Amino acid sequence: MRKVDAISIYPPPLIGGHKTPRDVTADIAAPIGRRPSALWWTGFAFSFALMCVGIAAETYQIKTGIGTWGLNKTIGWAFDITNFVFWIGIGHAGTLISAILFLLNQKWRTSVNRSAEAMTIFAVICAGIFPVIHMGRPWLAFWMLPYPNTRGSLWVNFRSPLVWDFFAIATYFTISLTFWYVGLLPDLATIRDRSRPGLKKRIVGFLSLGWNGSYKTWLRYETVYLLLAGLATPLVVSVHTIVSWDFATSIVPGWHTTIFPPYFVAGAIFSGMAMVLTLIIVARKAMNLEDYITKRHIGAMAKIIIFTSGMVGLAYATEFFIAMYSGNQYEQYVFFNRAAGPLSWAYWTMVACNVAVPQLLWFRKVRDNLALVFAISILINVGMWFERFVIIVTSLSRDYLPSSWASYSPTIIEIATFAGTFGLFFTLFLLFCRFLPVIAISEVKGVLGIGRKRGVS
Amino acid sequence: MSAEKIEKYWKATGQADRPKGAASPDEFPALIEKFDSPQSRRGFLRIAGFTFAGAVVAGCSRAPVEKAIPYLVKPEEITPGVAYYYASTCGGCSAGCGILVKNRDGRPVKLEGNKAHPISRGGLCAIGQASILGLYDSQRYKGPQIGGSDASWDQTDSQIVGELEKIRTSGGAVRLLSGTITSPTALATIDKFLGRFSDARHVVYDPLSVSAILDSHLRTHGIRTLPRYQFEKADVIVSFDADFLGTWISPVEFSKAYRNGRNLEADRSKFSYHAQFESRMSLTGSKADKRYCVPPGEIGAIMTQLFFAVSGLAGRSEGIADAQSSVSRETIDRIAGRLWRSRGNSLVACGAHDVRVQIICNAINELLGNYGNTVDIENPSNQFQGNDSELAKLTGEIKSGSVDALLIYDVNPVAELPGGEELAKAVADIPLTVSFSSRPDETALIVRYICPDHHFLESWSDSEPVVGTFGLTQPVIHPIFKTRPFIESLSKWSGSNKASHDLIRDRWREEIFPRNNEFRTFETFWDRAVHDGFVDFKASRSIQHKFDFAEVEPVVKADYGSGALALVLYPKVGMADGRHAYNPWLQELPDPITKITWDNYACISPSLGEKLGLEQGDLVNIQSGDGLASMDLPVVIQPGQDANTIAAALGYGRIQSERFKDIGPKWFQKRSGVGDNSRVGENMTPFLKFRDGNLRYSLHDIVIAKTGKKRALASTQNHHDIRVSENILLKGHEPHPIIQEIALSDLHHGSHAPGQHHREDLWPPDHQYTGHKWGMTLDLEACTGCSACLVSCQVENNIPVVGKDEVARGREMHWIRIDRYYISDGDEVEVAFQPMMCQQCDNAPCETVCPVLATIHSEEGLNQQVYNRCVGTRYCANNCPYKVRRFNWFDYPHEDKLQNLVLNPDVTVRSRGIMEKCTFCVQRIQSAKIDARNRGNVINDGDFATACEQACPADAITFGDLNDPQSRISRLAAGARAYRVLDELNVKPAVTYLKIVRNDENEKS
Repeated sequence: MRKVDAISIYPPPLIGGHKTPRDVTADIAAPIGRRPSALWWTGFAFSFALMCVGIAAETYQIKTGIGTWGLNKTIGWAFDITNFVFWIGIGHAGTLISAILFLLNQKWRTSVNRSAEAMTIFAVICAGIFPVIHMGRPWLAFWMLPYPNTRGSLWVNFRSPLVWDFFAIATYFTISLTFWYVGLLPDLATIRDRSRPGLKKRIVGFLSLGWNGSYKTWLRYETVYLLLAGLATPLVVSVHTIVSWDFATSIVPGWHTTIFPPYFVAGAIFSGMAMVLTLIIVARKAMNLEDYITKRHIGAMAKIIIFTSGMVGLAYATEFFIAMYSGNQYEQYVFFNRAAGPLSWAYWTMVACNVAVPQLLWFRKVRDNLALVFAISILINVGMWFERFVIIVTSLSRDYLPSSWASYSPTIIEIATFAGTFGLFFTLFLLFCRFLPVIAISEVKGVLGIGRKRGVS
Repeated sequence: MSAEKIEKYWKATGQADRPKGAASPDEFPALIEKFDSPQSRRGFLRIAGFTFAGAVVAGCSRAPVEKAIPYLVKPEEITPGVAYYYASTCGGCSAGCGILVKNRDGRPVKLEGNKAHPISRGGLCAIGQASILGLYDSQRYKGPQIGGSDASWDQTDSQIVGELEKIRTSGGAVRLLSGTITSPTALATIDKFLGRFSDARHVVYDPLSVSAILDSHLRTHGIRTLPRYQFEKADVIVSFDADFLGTWISPVEFSKAYRNGRNLEADRSKFSYHAQFESRMSLTGSKADKRYCVPPGEIGAIMTQLFFAVSGLAGRSEGIADAQSSVSRETIDRIAGRLWRSRGNSLVACGAHDVRVQIICNAINELLGNYGNTVDIENPSNQFQGNDSELAKLTGEIKSGSVDALLIYDVNPVAELPGGEELAKAVADIPLTVSFSSRPDETALIVRYICPDHHFLESWSDSEPVVGTFGLTQPVIHPIFKTRPFIESLSKWSGSNKASHDLIRDRWREEIFPRNNEFRTFETFWDRAVHDGFVDFKASRSIQHKFDFAEVEPVVKADYGSGALALVLYPKVGMADGRHAYNPWLQELPDPITKITWDNYACISPSLGEKLGLEQGDLVNIQSGDGLASMDLPVVIQPGQDANTIAAALGYGRIQSERFKDIGPKWFQKRSGVGDNSRVGENMTPFLKFRDGNLRYSLHDIVIAKTGKKRALASTQNHHDIRVSENILLKGHEPHPIIQEIALSDLHHGSHAPGQHHREDLWPPDHQYTGHKWGMTLDLEACTGCSACLVSCQVENNIPVVGKDEVARGREMHWIRIDRYYISDGDEVEVAFQPMMCQQCDNAPCETVCPVLATIHSEEGLNQQVYNRCVGTRYCANNCPYKVRRFNWFDYPHEDKLQNLVLNPDVTVRSRGIMEKCTFCVQRIQSAKIDARNRGNVINDGDFATACEQACPADAITFGDLNDPQSRISRLAAGARAYRVLDELNVKPAVTYLKIVRNDENEKS
């Protein structure tokens, strides 16, 4: 058997264990009916506690003032916007997997798209916290909305990238949520059908919008799904492009650069894929989904990571080249300062994690070693967080007038707030694992290879 | 407010002429008409409806009822909400600068320099600006105290009079210890008071003594006097350790004069040459054309060298020997040559506290013929009259227990003199001790009777800072507490019941009025004097002086061995002698050179730091050679300091600063605002030494030792060389210097690059500016870094004090800051100051990025910040290339209701979470526009000034309308020295800087 596999021109099947559609439904829907395991409870308790720490920190900060953060007159953004961009970046893989890979007919996405989309939504929720709480007067955050008001012709400033950002993220969140929900419909109906009569059945029944599995329903469903995928595709590019404009349209050396949109998008996909890997490597083990999420899935994502890692590496190098080539002394100084200044440790952490470490994934042995892939995915997330930190903090800390140069270190409130978003993220993810099918049942059934000779590739 | 209070109050201010800016009585004619004609039914219903709605709204409110009581009879010249100005004299120090006190609704809110005043000519220093806060200090004594508990004035008076009577009959010794008193009335009152005792003396000392100068004139000229230095008239200035632009004698007067001697816009041909010999980096040294860094002990020897060189040029051969110092013979000869060619118009100033050295200085000035011109002893200064030897005698008497009554006024000997603790013990044994201190200080806490003096804004007083120039101080507010003027107390104890106002009027009627020949009656003379705030009698006396060269005793070599460490104790610009240590504005004022707030520290040279392995903030122990004084201080590495000299500031470690423990916003990671001694900084006075009859502020054979500990310093600017970015420039790329300079010869010959580059724009301009276009120029040549503008701005714009911890976190709120850059060429270090505030850019980067339009451009070129619209994203601050925006990180405390009275009612007090920045004093612009409209006129150039411009003693700041081609600013901005900071960004700032002028080191003639 083994020998045959090795010389086979076909890739191994997407779903292992020779599953029948019944097996698929049973395997994936099983955790929903069961009582949660001790492992789940431990994880949930820890995440929830972490989230509460974050809520306490934010409450204190909103009550007392932004002064409880480590910011100063020179560095107006640091942990807050770093975390925001970090989480938005994480949220990118979901749309990429669900929309672009769907349009590209990449069948392997079926095993991971559901959890990736859920991750997207939760990450965008985490990200959305920061633009609000970073305001000096967060209770006035609604002023960012261009709503009709009684203050004369007072409108928002459409020239401000922060306003674009607001729209971009709101759109992204709405589309991602809709896309995710539409994709859930057949599976919700499956759960409804498997549930005993009761409250749960009623709720799931309501949410499944009267799905009856008819030919007509399937036809409309697939049309809508395709259309939504088409709609969501530009968002993969647009959201992080617009986030990058927050920096690129400013005149801060180190921010003011045209390379930012592609650089940010590549970085976002890079970090998003890493986060998906982190999550599913744990989830397949914890939820016994090894047959559904195979090494082939992980290998595919690892290859995307190698590609995007190359892109960010190229961007880092390009930035330096352009700075030197520009003849602009401020630009030159900023990059000199990044690599050799007081925060150079952050820069080299970023380069090591984002450019050097992912190169290990070129080796098949590394890709097949899930513990290693897991470790690499964590390191990439660390590196990508530092990328945003380096861009934001080192650029601000030393810009035009040396008299205002400053340094930054976070306070415990900032660290607690950041930790709190992880608490929120994992709390939501664990609830998702508990109440919704983590893998798209209906889609996986489509790639089992039933009615064909082999599993499709 | 009781009727009596109102009456008393208006008795004081009513005597001024109709104040500037009084509005017409029919200010709101339309409004009055509307409410005057409620006859119509509709009108009645409208008002009734409004009243009802108002009652409902008022009924819902749970706010405490605060009663605003209108005037029963409105004084004719007062319109609520309109500012009035009263001329007075600043009481911040004894220099006697003229001020205009801005009053709003019965309370002073701002002190401005009086442009007409002959001494200060419109400038007012940081201390003067900040001294208004002393009025609203809730920790002042609220009335007299006996033995630490509150008492009534009657009780206090009767007890003191009783004790004085006992001393008088027994022939006991009465001593009045005070700082310099320039008030003729006070001096007369003191004479009268002390005259009643058989053994009474008035001892004067200055915490920052210049006693040696007076003593030296006693020996060379036969009169103990402090000459008035006329820096304006000097073409060559050579200063030895005299920080005349910073803290020496009368810095505002000297800054003004110094500037007038170097004002190229006023007189192209006059630009004085200034050489400075000093051991630490002083403000004056930072402005010198040539600065020589020498050990403090060598000053005498260098002056002797100079004396011999000048003697040679003057053809005097007697007694010429050779003196040794680290300064080369050529340097001395060059300076002597310069001085000699400008003889009569040169000036040698010396800050040494050594009579022998001062005599050499006198001799040099005498040889150069400077007496009578740049060194004026005909109309000398009264600003410092302290006598160190008298003081030494008195402390001896106190310690020996031979004093029966000690009255202490305006000084704090326990904190200001060496051996303060010992002195305090001896003072406690004196039978009668009285302090006139306004607030608890080290001395007031050990005396029996506290008879608190008024704040100078509450009292009538006079002064004669320079012979022939009389200043008047008038009260501008009813006394806040039950305090009493010093002269009233003395007069009361002498048996007279006269109020200070009457004492002063009597004195002026008898002594000063007869000298005037302009006014016939005393009343008109008096009214004029109160209106102007001063009376000036020119050249009132002329004395033939002869000079006694026999007194000159050359100092042939440094008075200590080389290599030994010296300690120099110096006053800081904001803190001076420490009497204002209670003042948070001054504590938070960054030192112009080190940029450190809220502390004193040991400045050491980089080479000494390297040798001892010390870094900024390392705590070191400094011990005097005799082991008597020892103190732990944090180290500051100070470029431009003599290699073997340690410099530490006086005026710190005061008991008044204990109040700053909890200053600033409160949150759980807040650190204390004071040091381990629960005060701000350390008191360095134990290191002062009496030697040869003078207090010495420098001493040798210091032992310095690392403690291994650290103490955080709160600096507003970290150490960065200005040329830091040049290191990484590619060859052939032009740097864009932030500070620019031009050689004097280039300026004269016109061989300079054009001041402003014209840039082609891709887009049409966003703004048209059809009316005014406000702009500012900042003359970097004139700016001395004195920071008066900074405090002035803080007072004017209600800028909060944030405390040491917040400054250390980089969150000071000052809208204007003075950037200090070092420029080093080899060993020599030069300092450049650059005042930096919002540049009001035409293409403002902050405006485009604000999501809620909270910062927008006005039609007059102002970049406006709309506080109530701001949500606080801080994007504008990030995008500001000048980093001038300030964010309200917290709700800064405003709990002290008394202190809140200093707030300017024209400026919003900002709440937490919003951005703020310099507004170009938009409230002043608006008020000038309203004034002009009421006059039916347009605003003329110079009609009003921004707070920073008004305060600047060096006239470095000019504000005006760039659209007016005749305005001063238009001409300055088009001049050869004009440039814009970060011009290449094309943000088009409205602020133009004028280049520093490099004087030619090689003289033309």
